[in-house]
Amino acid sequence: MSTAVGGPGIRQLEGWGLDPAWSRIVDVTTPDGRHRSWHVLDNGAEPTKGTLVCTHGNPTWSYIWRDVLRLAPEGWRVVAVDQSGMGFSDRGTPRVLAERIDELVAFCEAHTSGPIVMAAHDWGGPVTIAAAARLDCRALVLTNTAVALPDGVKVPPLIAAARSAARVVCEQTPAFVEGTARMTGREHRSALRAPYRGRDRRHAVAEFVADIPVGPDDASWSALEGVAAAFDAFDGPVLLAWGGRDPVFHERFLADLVRRAPQAQVQVFPEAAHLVTLDAPVAEVAWEWLADLGSDPARPVDPPDAEAVAGFRPVTAALVERADDTDLAFSGPGGTRTWRQLAGHARHVADHLRAGGLTRGDRVALLVPPSADCLAAAYGIWMAGGVVVAVDSQLGLRPMRRLLRGATVQWTISTERTVRIARVVGLTPGATHLVVPPLPPHPSTSTDAAPERPPLRPDDLAAVVHTSGATGPAKPVRYTHAALAAQRDTILEQFPIGAFTTSFAPFMLIGPALGLACSLPDDVTPGALDFDAFAAASAPAGATTAWLSPAAAQRIVDTAAGRTAPMDLVMLAGAPVRRDLAAAMATVTGADVRAPYGMTEALPLTDGTEPGAVGPLGGTCTGRPLVGVEVLIDPLQPGGAWGEVLVSAPWMRAAYDRRWALDRDSTDVVDGRPFHRTGDVGYLDDGRLFQLGRRLHVITTAGGPLACVVSEQHVLDGTGLVVAAVGVGPEGAQALVVVVDADRSLALADLTTTAAVRGACPTPVAAVLTGRLPVDVRHRTKIDRAALAADAASLLGGR
Amino acid sequence: MKVLVTGATSLLGRTVALRLAERGDEVTCFQRRPSATGLTDHLGDVTDAEAVHRAATGHDAIVHLAALVAPRAPWRRFVEVNIEGSLNVVRAAAGCGRLVHVSTPSVAFDGHAAMGPGTEPARYAGRDGYARSKAIAERRVLSATTVPTVVLRPHLVWGPGDTQLVGRIVDRARTGRLALPRGGAALVDSTYVTDAADALVAGLDATADPGSAALGQAWVVSAGDPRPVRDLVAAILDAAGVEPRWRDAPGAVASVAGAVVGALWPGSEPPLTHFAARQLTVAHWFDQRRTREVLGWEPAVGLDAGFAELARSYAEHPVR
Repeated sequence: MSTAVGGPGIRQLEGWGLDPAWSRIVDVTTPDGRHRSWHVLDNGAEPTKGTLVCTHGNPTWSYIWRDVLRLAPEGWRVVAVDQSGMGFSDRGTPRVLAERIDELVAFCEAHTSGPIVMAAHDWGGPVTIAAAARLDCRALVLTNTAVALPDGVKVPPLIAAARSAARVVCEQTPAFVEGTARMTGREHRSALRAPYRGRDRRHAVAEFVADIPVGPDDASWSALEGVAAAFDAFDGPVLLAWGGRDPVFHERFLADLVRRAPQAQVQVFPEAAHLVTLDAPVAEVAWEWLADLGSDPARPVDPPDAEAVAGFRPVTAALVERADDTDLAFSGPGGTRTWRQLAGHARHVADHLRAGGLTRGDRVALLVPPSADCLAAAYGIWMAGGVVVAVDSQLGLRPMRRLLRGATVQWTISTERTVRIARVVGLTPGATHLVVPPLPPHPSTSTDAAPERPPLRPDDLAAVVHTSGATGPAKPVRYTHAALAAQRDTILEQFPIGAFTTSFAPFMLIGPALGLACSLPDDVTPGALDFDAFAAASAPAGATTAWLSPAAAQRIVDTAAGRTAPMDLVMLAGAPVRRDLAAAMATVTGADVRAPYGMTEALPLTDGTEPGAVGPLGGTCTGRPLVGVEVLIDPLQPGGAWGEVLVSAPWMRAAYDRRWALDRDSTDVVDGRPFHRTGDVGYLDDGRLFQLGRRLHVITTAGGPLACVVSEQHVLDGTGLVVAAVGVGPEGAQALVVVVDADRSLALADLTTTAAVRGACPTPVAAVLTGRLPVDVRHRTKIDRAALAADAASLLGGR
Repeated sequence: MKVLVTGATSLLGRTVALRLAERGDEVTCFQRRPSATGLTDHLGDVTDAEAVHRAATGHDAIVHLAALVAPRAPWRRFVEVNIEGSLNVVRAAAGCGRLVHVSTPSVAFDGHAAMGPGTEPARYAGRDGYARSKAIAERRVLSATTVPTVVLRPHLVWGPGDTQLVGRIVDRARTGRLALPRGGAALVDSTYVTDAADALVAGLDATADPGSAALGQAWVVSAGDPRPVRDLVAAILDAAGVEPRWRDAPGAVASVAGAVVGALWPGSEPPLTHFAARQLTVAHWFDQRRTREVLGWEPAVGLDAGFAELARSYAEHPVR
């Protein structure tokens, strides 16, 4: 190795955040005896743990691996190469894919020793994957790349355009280089442009594009076929770290790679674009992933035994068993359905999907608003062996599109209206749309050639649902059929539940699984359900159970005007419940009122008894953990009596979908059992679980952590004022600020109120403010404490 | 133990001298005018190296508070008193054995809200002569000292008998001339005078412990109990028995440092520099965990009991 003569200057490298010592020129000699001179970034570390070889795509250079080099742990040598004619490597004769592969193999053989791990981006992916097959490569980290054009995907328009006018776009003008540089943040652009200033420096950029094979006549077509085969055969660990906003290598390329390497672990960064290593913390995630490879696998996965499979009663069982029952199964938007009708419609949906070619595990987006048809569609998807992908339309079109694209659904079940939206907005590119209603029996069902409906297995993926997004970006959550079946059994066995009505539309999906009639109010938008609508919705199904959000319950109570709506059981879910609301609901319905604890990732977790009771450390009672649930408390400080709540239940989520890092951070394995980190804080007392709000909202004062809800309760009890408590200042030394709810913009409270609040709070209060408490759109009861804390910090920061 | 306290005419200097004497130390007070502490006075000027040396002779330690706090003094004077004066003390301390140098959080103030440890290194950025000279002094003391030294930065010290901050606020409010920039919303930490004095005593004791983590470093000292400026002013006025009345200085006006001082302390001789007044319009509070750990000190009185003390003092000496 020699120093970087002709490479970038020291000042330049430092300006780009690169250590000049990394920059070297090396000689690469292929077996045919040809020499090339390559520029590489090499941290030169002694590879006691391993060597990571990183390969960029077109038109970038080794700079894109900057953070991977920067964050390399002890014992890892990292070499990021500039391919021939690219970056600061020698310009020379054009290369085709096969030659580039030979060069990378030759480089690794000459300049690395021992087993290696390889990382690649863009068209560096095919080069790397083929090279990996010829080297002792133990694992692959792939970012926005491809090994083939997925079925039904056209050549990305950007590539097609660049290819058709490669000389002009890529070489004679800096358009391609500039367009690529502009896909990421400004701070990276000078580095990305630097090696490609001047048309003579861009020759290889054009050649690279021209070499992209799109048909069997192209020079590199067979080489790329070899790459795909090599990837299919690679059985080592693979991490796919993916930018979700890449117009070239979009989600369908990711889906293709996942299909070819089912063992791959996937981390999608929804906000990152093509240059994902620069846009997102790929380096952090990749190093965590590589560290984990050396240790135990993160999650024990017990394959279900044959007996469990044979005796498995999936969520579709009750509906199938009652296929001749003419009792009411559903009432609500779209009318009423008997069990027979519902089962028939679900079967039609399943038959259409199977006849259309759906295979087990295909993802189907449910784009039917809550209704009888929606219910039939969901069960139809399951009967066909598909995976229900559900996204709440209240999130808005843009987030919906991101989530649906991220899930790469192969199918949608839509209405006439939603299919139009899906097409216009491009919600689900490449998906086949099945429109309901009406869905007549599939022709093939009347013959012997009826599509076979396979039995569902416990470990089959059943659904990808999304968290509400009320407490951060919406997260995709995977559920298996085993979990859904366990959830059904738990609700039936541990709650005195009967035919039910609900204000929370997705809950209707559990009705047919339970074998219970369910009803929805005609208007399911939050805030629409009042006493009259509630009574009207309950009547047709003979509901004895109501499943309500606290906000809906509050409105029913507020509009009851002395009337009663008898129920046996009222379940309040979705947000903490105050004692007075639980009591008022009991008065209106005469029911056993429960507020069980749960979240999108695991529901329900406690029996919800003693709703709203205040525990010895404050907070809200959620009842006792259900049979089968394990609760752990992870104290925020050593010896602390309360902390983050960890839960485990057979009916909890399987994993976050395509969010490896989130999944890892949110899952603890204790005694071989996976626990979900809820992000809530709480404590156990006398067998009951008390909730103290969100971990994010814990105020970390110098005197120790403080749960905001505890301070809020003290003030409410002492002064009758509804307040929100937030922390202002640096982590670990935050000041407690109390904001009194008032219809005005944020300001200091008057001196009397200030004194009263300080007097009611046992911990020092830095400031008392008054102003509007921002609440989230979805729940209307969850105060957006992060926004409030930011506003308070700004006011108290002065100027 | 024999201790020389420089600058005992100030509220904090007087209090720390009395604190040390109370616990049995033999205290000499060194400043230009009599300290009225009832303790031994050795009159002199810190700019006079010979005088400082003579005063220090025979003492075991020096607590150095004497400084020029003035809004518009010539830079030369700041250099003479705050920098060269401190270096005179450092040289004299070499013969005594231990030194506590009293600095100010202003040395790290750059005009922005400060929330955190407060142990940031001193900067020379401020245009204010006082803060800049104190920043230079702090660095030079720490690099030049040859004996165990602790630097303390007490933040916004107040208490009974304080004619500066407390006295001026009360006076302006009584005459209807008190204005608070931006409604006094800025969150600021402060220190009750005996708590600050205790911290200085703790710092002095730390210099006797060769293993103390406090040595050779600067530490902010405060109550660790930030309040909006408005609340501090209201509590002071309440203690003084004066009606809490003030004008709200508009933000645009308040953002001009000179106008801030004009609003708070109009007159030919504001008690605080423009710079210090500017500090009161932005958040300024500190994480005291580490300071308390290394000094083995906690505020014994705190803000609310301090205001009660202030009220008692005003009850004995009512505002006319």
